[in-house]
Amino acid sequence: MSMPHDPDLEDVLQDQELRRVADLLREARMTEPPLDDAFRSDLRRRLMSQAWGMGGGGTPWWRKVFGPTGMVWATAAVGVILIGAVVVLTATNQPGPSDQVVVSSQLANQSAVRLQQPIQVTFNQPMDHRSTEAAVQIAPATTVAFSWHENTLSVTPTAGNLAPNTQYQVTIGPGAKTASGQSLTAPKTITFVTQPPPPSPSPTPTVKPTPPPTVLTNQHLLASMPDGITNVLWSPDSTTVYFVTGKGALESVPAIGGNPTVLAPDGVGSVAINPAGDQLAYIRKGNIQILAIGQGTTTEVVPAAAPVLVGWATSGVEWATADGVYTVGPGGQGKVAALPATGTATAISFAPDGAHLAYALDQSLSVLDLATGKSTVLGLPGAHFQGWSPDGTGVMYSGAQAVVLADLGGRNTTSLPAGEPSWSSQDEVLLGSDVNLFVMRPDASGQTKLADGTFHLPAWAPNGIAFTYFRSGELYTASAPTPAPPATSPLDAAASVVNLFMKARKDNPDRANAYLDDNGRKAYMSSTGGLNLQVTGDPSFSRYYVLTGQITGSHPDTAQFVVRIVLAHNSLDVKSLEETLTLVRTQGSQQFLVDQAAAGPVLTLGATAEVVSVDVTATSVKVTFDSDLKPETVTAGVIILDSKGKQIGNMPAYAKRTVTVDGLDLKAGKSYKLVVLSTVQDVGGSNIAAEYDLTFSGPADTHGDRHRDTSPSPIPQPSPTATPSS
Amino acid sequence: MSDPQRDEERELVEQAKRDPRQFGALYDRHFQQIYRFVYSRVREQTAAEDVTSEIFMKALKAMPRYQDTGRPFAAWLYQISVNAIADRYRTLRPSSPLEDFHDLSIAEPPLEEQAAHRDEIRRIWALVEALPVQQKTALVLKFQEDMKIEDIAVAMGKTPGAVKLLIHRGVSRLRDEADSLRPAE
Repeated sequence: MSMPHDPDLEDVLQDQELRRVADLLREARMTEPPLDDAFRSDLRRRLMSQAWGMGGGGTPWWRKVFGPTGMVWATAAVGVILIGAVVVLTATNQPGPSDQVVVSSQLANQSAVRLQQPIQVTFNQPMDHRSTEAAVQIAPATTVAFSWHENTLSVTPTAGNLAPNTQYQVTIGPGAKTASGQSLTAPKTITFVTQPPPPSPSPTPTVKPTPPPTVLTNQHLLASMPDGITNVLWSPDSTTVYFVTGKGALESVPAIGGNPTVLAPDGVGSVAINPAGDQLAYIRKGNIQILAIGQGTTTEVVPAAAPVLVGWATSGVEWATADGVYTVGPGGQGKVAALPATGTATAISFAPDGAHLAYALDQSLSVLDLATGKSTVLGLPGAHFQGWSPDGTGVMYSGAQAVVLADLGGRNTTSLPAGEPSWSSQDEVLLGSDVNLFVMRPDASGQTKLADGTFHLPAWAPNGIAFTYFRSGELYTASAPTPAPPATSPLDAAASVVNLFMKARKDNPDRANAYLDDNGRKAYMSSTGGLNLQVTGDPSFSRYYVLTGQITGSHPDTAQFVVRIVLAHNSLDVKSLEETLTLVRTQGSQQFLVDQAAAGPVLTLGATAEVVSVDVTATSVKVTFDSDLKPETVTAGVIILDSKGKQIGNMPAYAKRTVTVDGLDLKAGKSYKLVVLSTVQDVGGSNIAAEYDLTFSGPADTHGDRHRDTSPSPIPQPSPTATPSS
Repeated sequence: MSDPQRDEERELVEQAKRDPRQFGALYDRHFQQIYRFVYSRVREQTAAEDVTSEIFMKALKAMPRYQDTGRPFAAWLYQISVNAIADRYRTLRPSSPLEDFHDLSIAEPPLEEQAAHRDEIRRIWALVEALPVQQKTALVLKFQEDMKIEDIAVAMGKTPGAVKLLIHRGVSRLRDEADSLRPAE
């Protein structure tokens, strides 16, 4: 029987026999598989629910709310925009009896929450969607849409992201009911603070070459393993890759390629290499084998209880069992630290320095400090361990559609997009997935796609250049581009000093003097009428952020920053104070120091819209608010004045909480004023509490690229000449 | 020359990238094809449903990062499918016999010939299942899913040349292993 000609295979199957086999293969037609229509429609429904949680792109919110497909959401979206005073309760709920409604959120009490993510609120039992959505209040005023996945409610701002530098309070009011009709006994509030806005692009667009589809080099196959892979690790000198196959064989292969060498034929579980790279420990047949790599000899440790995980501490090999962590000391085997006796604890991974152990206890993820025996819970129940920082001081775990990076206390978290991560010694994080590979800094900056394609289990070499990945039953290696050095433009250098100065004022005011020059020390000499370097009292100094900053002059480089100090009472932002700092780069050390400072009045933070970021270029000013605004109140309510009080620029444009005034021609070093009139209203109809004024300077010409490094910018160090004034 | 179907698909993809809620149209368009492919590999309805759910959920989440390389959107879905099935295979082998799945009805020739021919096809597909996973995947995508080499390359994360090599090796191995496939003298 002759099959239709396939030009695709013309040069592949030239032999007549081969073509006949191909024809036979093509002749078998698939029968229709059994298909449950209910499954098909249920999957579609779940996808749509998930899609709502992801939010839309640029479609105006009112179109989404009132358009045909969004009509069903209208009640919910409108129901949450009216914000009043928010009841303050503890954001973290203690587990209660099973009939109590427990509300939790991974964002609770976080301090640098990523802007592009929904606010996810999890309940311990099925909820009635309608009443729960109607009971949600969010401050500042934000138009949102809702979606559900099982017992988790995703609240997504229709603007597409959260406002920067903003303390959010999301309250689930007592009107929320469970699926069985039970009401919340009291409102629950989740409080968190968002991270600063991403750096704005260069004011003058520059033509960038289109990146090639892949920027990886030295890509080559290391080994095939159709049965999968369970472990990959690099030698400390980045020359050898060790791996355990799905069948439990431990093998090694040179990183430059070559034939794999079988080190143990089967039955290998956990494996770890010592810091010197000359000993490999692995679990096989219930014992720990230690292979001297250079000599090929193996010694055996026979633990009293079955080991499940092996690692290396500075003192030697260590292993975890079901009840704790053990090592071999001068007096024989001994327990280093105990795992919890209640519940089912499962050791997952030793930190690279061997000082901590990640383990799962029932549904939660924890880190055990082997020195103190204390455990810290990471994330919400259901979080999965995803890796360590190379120095063992940071940990990565799965969050809500994100990879969460945290310190070992579970604090100072940042969120990266979901994926399979690996953290390098060059402080870069690879994120692999089914479809592509990204690299970024641990603070989520510098996100760059390295390649399309499947990149499972990425694992950086210790040199931070090469890495391995797993694809379709094969282990590959490749080299990533050398990470670009951090941007050190004058603006970045000055911003870095501002951050160090403000951090010192908050945590250790004595050290803050190191960032002041002689004039700056006079400006902060409170005994002679200057400002207070140390902010004390109640409400207390809880956080700060840079509202705006520009390079305002050169020769010497001069920068002006407006910093907002937020004062809190019982963890809630209640007042703010703005300081305008002028920094000058010293001739000798080339370091920026604070030269002048001026403070504005202490303002009360109310329930109305606040300005949280002002981005100034020579031709435009972008003012970002923490609330969604009524667009019609913006055009006459946001004004830019020159030094003579004359209004300048085009009519303001409003989109996604940001008001843009363009058509400006700001001169370097000249004084300008942003005025936000009290006629501006948020979407709830509340006017701004009082007129807001911000004086700023025109930015200096930085040749159209303010991120370009025009002069050496050393990493800021405390000034060696600075001494506390007395 | 523009292809109206491809243009329409491109538009749907762009809409879904901008707004994930538009993904439903792509789901409707490709569900049957992907489900059939998954079922052909896992041979069990519940497993096929699980894997198909996983594929479309992953596709939805990755939609904002999808980049049009000029190949059909389905090639990308197959790429996710191949990986999802590979993951599944690591823990679960298909259990149903192959004969249950491929329709071997052949029109026209006499009954004896039909039976012999059917037997040939049955045996050659049984041999496909025993091929190394990469060769098997390439042959299934080519001969069962009737995909172009370029699209298979996308689905398998390989170059077209590598796919051709896999197909050549796979078919050659089938020829070598199936003595009984030779035409009757």
